[in-house]
Amino acid sequence: MLDYIFRRIIGAFLVMLAVATLVFFMLRLVPGDPIAAMLADAGSEEARDAMIRRLGFDKPVPIQFLKWFGGMLQGDLGNSIYGSNQPVTRILAESLPRTLSLAFISFIIALLIAVPAGIISAAKKNTTADNAFSFFAFLGLSMPDFWLAILLIIVFAANLQWLPAIGYSPISEGLWPWFSHLILPSIAVGTGFSAIIARMIRSSMLEVLKADYMRFAASKGLSDSTLLLRHALPNALIPVITVIGIAFALLISGAVVVENVFAIKGLGRVLIQGILNRDYPVVQGAVLVVSAIFVFTNLLVDILYGLIDPRIRYS
Amino acid sequence: MSKFKDIEWLAKQELKDAYDFDHKDPLFSLSKTEMSGSKLSRRATLRLMAAAGGLTLAQVLPGLGPKVALAAGNSGGHLRCAWAGVAEIITLDPARINQVLQFQIASNVLSGIMHIDNSLVAQGDLAESWDVSSNGLEYVITLRQGVTFHNGDKFNADDVLFTFNRSKDPEKSIHSRVIGNVNEAIKLNDHQVKFVLEKPQASFLTKALERASGRAMTIVSRGALASMGDSQYGLAPVGTGPYRVASHVLGQGVVLEKFENYYDSDRPKLDKITIKPVDGVEPLAAAMEAGDIDYIGGNPVPAQLVTRFKSNPDLAVDIKPGPGFQSVWLNPWRDYMRVDNFNKPIEELKKEKGFMVRLALAKALDRALFIKQGLFDNGVAAHGTINPAMGYYFDDSLSKSSEQAYDPEGARELMAAAGYPGGKGFPEIKLIVTPNSKRLGLVVANIYKKVLGITVIVDPKDFSVGIEQFNKMDFDMRLGGSGGDYDPDDGIVDWMQTKSKFNGRARNKEIHPFGFFSSSEADTAIAEQSVTADPAERKKLVQEANAITSNKVACGFLYHPVDILVYNKKITVPTDARIPGLHELDRIYFT
Amino acid sequence: MLNKEPTENLKGISRFRFIFSRDKKAPIAISVILIFLLSALFAPWLAPYDPNEMTLDMMSAPSKLHLLGTDDLGRDLLSRIIWGTQISLFVGVSTVFISLVLGVILGVVAGYYGGWADMIIMRYIDLQWAFPNFIIAVYLVAVFGTGLLNVIVAISLAFLDDFARVARSMVLTLKEQQFVEAARTNGSSNFRIMFKHILPNAAAPLIVQATVCVSYAILGEASLSFLGLGVSANTPTWGLILADGRSFISQAWWLGVYPGLAIMLIVLSINFLGDSLRDTLDVKENLL
Repeated sequence: MLDYIFRRIIGAFLVMLAVATLVFFMLRLVPGDPIAAMLADAGSEEARDAMIRRLGFDKPVPIQFLKWFGGMLQGDLGNSIYGSNQPVTRILAESLPRTLSLAFISFIIALLIAVPAGIISAAKKNTTADNAFSFFAFLGLSMPDFWLAILLIIVFAANLQWLPAIGYSPISEGLWPWFSHLILPSIAVGTGFSAIIARMIRSSMLEVLKADYMRFAASKGLSDSTLLLRHALPNALIPVITVIGIAFALLISGAVVVENVFAIKGLGRVLIQGILNRDYPVVQGAVLVVSAIFVFTNLLVDILYGLIDPRIRYS
Repeated sequence: MSKFKDIEWLAKQELKDAYDFDHKDPLFSLSKTEMSGSKLSRRATLRLMAAAGGLTLAQVLPGLGPKVALAAGNSGGHLRCAWAGVAEIITLDPARINQVLQFQIASNVLSGIMHIDNSLVAQGDLAESWDVSSNGLEYVITLRQGVTFHNGDKFNADDVLFTFNRSKDPEKSIHSRVIGNVNEAIKLNDHQVKFVLEKPQASFLTKALERASGRAMTIVSRGALASMGDSQYGLAPVGTGPYRVASHVLGQGVVLEKFENYYDSDRPKLDKITIKPVDGVEPLAAAMEAGDIDYIGGNPVPAQLVTRFKSNPDLAVDIKPGPGFQSVWLNPWRDYMRVDNFNKPIEELKKEKGFMVRLALAKALDRALFIKQGLFDNGVAAHGTINPAMGYYFDDSLSKSSEQAYDPEGARELMAAAGYPGGKGFPEIKLIVTPNSKRLGLVVANIYKKVLGITVIVDPKDFSVGIEQFNKMDFDMRLGGSGGDYDPDDGIVDWMQTKSKFNGRARNKEIHPFGFFSSSEADTAIAEQSVTADPAERKKLVQEANAITSNKVACGFLYHPVDILVYNKKITVPTDARIPGLHELDRIYFT
Repeated sequence: MLNKEPTENLKGISRFRFIFSRDKKAPIAISVILIFLLSALFAPWLAPYDPNEMTLDMMSAPSKLHLLGTDDLGRDLLSRIIWGTQISLFVGVSTVFISLVLGVILGVVAGYYGGWADMIIMRYIDLQWAFPNFIIAVYLVAVFGTGLLNVIVAISLAFLDDFARVARSMVLTLKEQQFVEAARTNGSSNFRIMFKHILPNAAAPLIVQATVCVSYAILGEASLSFLGLGVSANTPTWGLILADGRSFISQAWWLGVYPGLAIMLIVLSINFLGDSLRDTLDVKENLL
């Protein structure tokens, strides 16, 4: 077992390194001169040369890579080449809690919807309730998240003015502001997610309900709800949990567009803006973090799977 | 009516007087005493501005109108601002600022040595008085005493020197050119600094040392820089201004707080100002209408919101003619509109196919339609860089007399004569725009389709990519222009001369002998007007140069933007705080 | 049961007919998809106006003249949405097709041959797996630029790992089964075994995966357009219409509602169809 875990961890790190290298070199292919953008109207030849020297662009690309790589191993991801040249680690450190907050609340909202929906759907398979839930699940899956975001803004922020239209408020400034800024975006992100989970729970429950041990429990004369909640659900959740791990990482990518609509400076928005600004260090750092989240979530899931299903370990 | 005429007459007198000097005189026909002291008289300020190369009626007029007394006004309060069209205020470090929206905030946090207010009185900001040598090359500035930085450090001559050295270094500051004429800065004592210039410079007091236009001598705190480091300082600079930065979280906003020890006890009025960058149009409107926001600054207010804000009884909308111009730039090196020599008389140029196309493209611009559809009627048609806000220099007959004036039939005839009747056979060309101006590009492309039958493909590129291509002459057409200053120089000197810094500066000079335009006639006129004293004479030269650029199609001039200020009527924005493009937050107060 | 090829259990068309007749969703879904398909094919004739024609009738509400209203440049929204169908469907289908073909080749080669080929291909799949699909697409478009071709390439590459994985795992499961042994002892070549015996039996989950991917591809294209990284600035695509309309939403709510509705309807229909297919083909969900 430990051997398995060890192998997977090494694998994960190798993947991350490959990703970092790939991203570094590919980024240099992107057209557009970040220096010109930064200097805009005010630049002269000397200012331009000075900036190039300062940012190390005058050195050959492989040297730049080694420099960046070495720095990364020490925890220094360089500085943003844009604006006030914030250290990339700082930018990412500030953006990560926002995306994680968004993912967290979306997750909660999604579960609050999905779990009861999934259970009821399975318990009352093929009745109106099931069909209705299935339909709404499909609806949620099919809605573009940015569209839902826009609709939510129109209704709740612009018209009813119950909630703020954009922005993020850190917890340090109060729990309610933090939460109120995250409600609309979380609904936008969580809806699609909840649909997937609901359907997963449903089909997983259905599998479980068919199993022999359920009939055995039923024959003991237990009530429906006990059967459902104490016997079926825990078993049904096992495969679901492994999917949730991956899906959580997907939440983070789904957040990219929603963060854009709500102007929340989370990981996704930092990445997109970095790409648009040709801010190489920021993009490299953001890609590293996103893939790290993905890779390690998968790792966790694989380990869990390995724990549950011994066959996998030896493949 | 007559009162206005009186004022206008007065203004013209002042203008005449301002330009009445011997331009060989290093002191610009002012006496040494006039140029020294603790306050430049209005007359002296006007003279210096005229000598520096630009004083216009528009600038002279405001100071002559009935003065709304700066009321004692209610002190205190928390002003909530939104900065439009921007996701984050990237930096407030004067050495790195390259966007007006950043400077709008920094000018309230940091001080300059001089400050010119809306009535064009040059006052000392951190300077208490100054003395000029008779050869106009040495300025001794006596600094205000008892001024402190926000962090408690005492302000003295060392800070001036520090700022000077920092700004002179192109590695540290992008504005090093502004003080290029200064040979050295010497500390005489703790409160006196001497600047030694290379040549007499009229704009030294009014521009180089001025807090708003100069930015080279916006005084920074060396103590804070040392302890915070450049990038932190860029987020939350420590200065001597009326407000200090309490906090700045990128993407969330800046919080400014009243600096209790500001040297002028009358200002600032407000206790606290929060500035939130608001990227989207909808959220901005919603916030303003819900009363979450009291004031909008930053990038221009989106045109489509103007009518909406105007009809809202709680909001005040103030529109002023803005400086600047925007054009459709045409690349003369493209085969189908090639012009390799603009130095021929117009009638001869019109016989060339390349110029015919170029002129057709300019004539086809239905500016009225563009302003209506693209700008929701918030703009003025342009036929040259000189805009209505420049008042005295503006020639409104140009809109009819210019070769570029909208003339669809004429445009079509030219295209046909050039070999593309009805647009047939004309290649598909690309119009470079920024993502934000994509809409405007679509309107232009549509106009070209309707009038000339040609296909123009709108090509949104990020500003960095677009400007790179523009500088290298690697484009077909591009939509762009200048935010501008009230000074005619800003348009014609920076754009219309062969050696202008925006005229293809990164091009391959062997393939492209000049950028997008080159006329030796215009070059001469522009160079001369820069040093011409007599306003009538200067006006003639400016208009001559402007007409050349218009008639010979330096570009397809499109429109002059207007400056729109929107705020909640809860606050009062006094006239002297209303300088288009800037936000003097220390003079605003709650009514 | 284990000795027979799984495809023998599928009694062809009749099974389809049986499921579809019971399932109310599928026929509706198919009809909707057909409507969109027809819109795409016959856009020039169906659209009441030129989608790029600007009028001075800016931001006018839905009316008899303009059934879904006009946008901020006076262009007819209905026409733009009809024309937008072309790009959405074309991108949706072509990306999945390309991805399917490439992914299957990779997956089959990896699963069947094992050894070095498998290791290299698996490493690549793992590498790509380290990224959410959408981020890959965004990144590729940022590197290579926007435009129809680049968007298709970007989205196709983004789905590659999904198809490869499914194909590979199916091959791994199937190649140990007895019918393959049988074919081998009969002397069939590897190629024949891969494509005549294994692949058809792997078809079912691949088909279902494909329908899922089509809906993601359509959503992905819309998201890219929305972020300004889409096909072009001039052609109306649904994501672009939403992105452009965003700044005018409270003056023109129809700009925010109808394009999104179009996206939702087509994706919904495809999802329903996929669901029916899954039931019909009896594919277990955990293969996705």
